[in-house]
Amino acid sequence: MANLKEIKRKIGSVKNTAKTTNAMKLVSSAKLRRTEELAKRSRVYAGKLTELLNEIAQKMQKANVDGLDNVYFKSVEKPETVDIVFITADKGLCGGFNAHTIKRVNALIAEYKAENVKVRLRAIGRKGIEYFKFNNVELNDALVGLSSSPDYAQAAEFINDVAASYVNGETDRIVLVHNGYVNMITQEIKQDQLLPIDPSKLELNSASTSELEVEPDDDDTLLDALVKRYIEYTIYYSLIDSLAAEHSARMQAMDAATNNAKEMVKTLTVQYNKARQEAITTELIEIISGMESMK
Amino acid sequence: MELMKLEIVTPNGVIFDNDVRQVTLPGSEGEFGVLPRHATLVSLLDAGVIEIVKADGKEVAVAINSGYVKVEEDKTSCIVDGAVALSGEETDLAKAISEAKELLKKAESSSTVIAAAVSKVEHIGKSL
Repeated sequence: MANLKEIKRKIGSVKNTAKTTNAMKLVSSAKLRRTEELAKRSRVYAGKLTELLNEIAQKMQKANVDGLDNVYFKSVEKPETVDIVFITADKGLCGGFNAHTIKRVNALIAEYKAENVKVRLRAIGRKGIEYFKFNNVELNDALVGLSSSPDYAQAAEFINDVAASYVNGETDRIVLVHNGYVNMITQEIKQDQLLPIDPSKLELNSASTSELEVEPDDDDTLLDALVKRYIEYTIYYSLIDSLAAEHSARMQAMDAATNNAKEMVKTLTVQYNKARQEAITTELIEIISGMESMK
Repeated sequence: MELMKLEIVTPNGVIFDNDVRQVTLPGSEGEFGVLPRHATLVSLLDAGVIEIVKADGKEVAVAINSGYVKVEEDKTSCIVDGAVALSGEETDLAKAISEAKELLKKAESSSTVIAAAVSKVEHIGKSL
């Protein structure tokens, strides 16, 4: 009989777990919708900004015979120090979401180490910080709270610090790694070189750009302001993208967990019924054999 | 009347996308007006007010804190950080004006630029 009671208790607890995971799934899907909306709205802005940056950079590229001499565009053949900025979630329970990002960061570190490049890590999000702290890897920056509620001002402040260390020569390259949102069921690791901006990535189009007038006509003022805004926005957008991916990953994970729990309840119920039947049969046999012996 | 496209984009989405007759922008080197077939131009924008003359001749104003503008012959795109449209009914307008003032006061521009922009917003509030 103890067995019966135990199974019943187990069924109850699994049912409760299913309730929790299902609720988490619903919360995530609601949050995902909101984040998706936010991402959609800021995508237009990001697109326009990139377009404008492209044009200005092109114009300057044409004006200067030996390409762009702006500090943000100077590409280094062999970097000595590379900063890796990576974004993970603040919370777990979202499947392999954080693990994928960490894996990519680790691969990147190994890659750069093989080339004798010094790597500095800058982490956003509690999960990534915890992982590297646990493994005794030094982090240059550790920011918690930003990945669960992206805030433009805070993101800008963070990335401006990073950009400052690029400008004063402490680091030669800044790479951004995050797990991005593709659709409801897919996330994809995205890795971008934030600085220097790769001039070869800029699309070369219309010839009309050579006639472009620029105000203030000191080119650098505008370009500097634009680049600053561009990296600020890139990091902000990555945060939103990462948040959307986190929610979609959690939705999936919680959906799977709910299904598993339901499956488990089924198996346990079968077990429970079997055990109960067994108990009844044993009792019956006992009664019958008792009667037989009285004859 | 010749028309051109005007687009105003903020981080929170597109707030204006329509054909217009004329637009006046607060450039960092001074205010300037744009008519259709303007020469291509890129400029920084300071805190101030974008004044728009719509296709039907009605005027609209949008207060911004900072941003960029790209002028092409048939299209003007403004990329701004924060914007408040100054239009609508009286009660909405009063609210929009106070919001616009708030936005301008927070902008990272010189105090004279901000003061000029704020007084412009007040003026628009009276004239509308």
